[in-house]
Amino acid sequence: MPEIKSAGSAAQSIAASALRAEQARMRIIAENIANANSTSRTPGGDPYRRQVPVFRPVQVDGGQGVRMVKVEPDRSDFKSEYEPGHPSANAQGYVKMPNVDSLVEALDMREAQRAYEANLNVIETARAMDMRTLDLLKK
Amino acid sequence: MFTMDITDIPLFAMLRGRLGYLSERQRLIAQNVANAETPGYRPNDLRPFSFDARVQAAQSAGSMAVTQPGHMALGASSPTANAAKFKSRKVSDSETTLDGNQVVLEEEMLKMSDARMNYDAAIGFYQKSLNLLRMAARAPGR
Repeated sequence: MPEIKSAGSAAQSIAASALRAEQARMRIIAENIANANSTSRTPGGDPYRRQVPVFRPVQVDGGQGVRMVKVEPDRSDFKSEYEPGHPSANAQGYVKMPNVDSLVEALDMREAQRAYEANLNVIETARAMDMRTLDLLKK
Repeated sequence: MFTMDITDIPLFAMLRGRLGYLSERQRLIAQNVANAETPGYRPNDLRPFSFDARVQAAQSAGSMAVTQPGHMALGASSPTANAAKFKSRKVSDSETTLDGNQVVLEEEMLKMSDARMNYDAAIGFYQKSLNLLRMAARAPGR
């Protein structure tokens, strides 16, 4: 017997895919913030490189959801600080610092949070609409 | 042989169409919100609900014949059937971000609460109409 799905449950699975994607994005942001000061292990080597999540629409149960398909390195330049005593400093005394800007990360985090809340809202509304329909059976 | 279905009553047919339209719209809004951060994504919406379009859709959709009392009229209860019935189109919100995404969360939230309120209203009408039928079916004086 084919499963009959309501449009409400379709909306819920779409929003759930977005919740997962935003959750994954938050993880990437956390990694970036945690490693904002991670320098290289070897003198003069490259430090932590900022990671950027990539979102793509994907087909989920009932419609077009979203998924974090890959994580790409941010190709912007590293910052460089003069600190001759640092273990990662190169011969000239400069240390390469990660290309993480904590202000950008904080804004990204806010955006992810806002998107997460919006998707929660969608789930709640879809559920409320389905419940209203089921209420027809009560009386 | 003639069978009477509750959707043969025009009011119920109309409300059913309206409910199908609104839940399909809710599904599209869910897609838009889910892709609010996807580069290059353009939001979808349905054309405004109109009775004329509804009549045309009912005429164009092929349906199975009910030839015996045990048969059930083929309903459009799955989301895919709804999707086939209502045409969606790309409708941009008011802003486009640098990555080409045209979803504005606030506008989608507005559309969503609009769909929800209309859905509640339609369900209310449905309930009231059912109560009218019940009242008519009840024995007088009871």
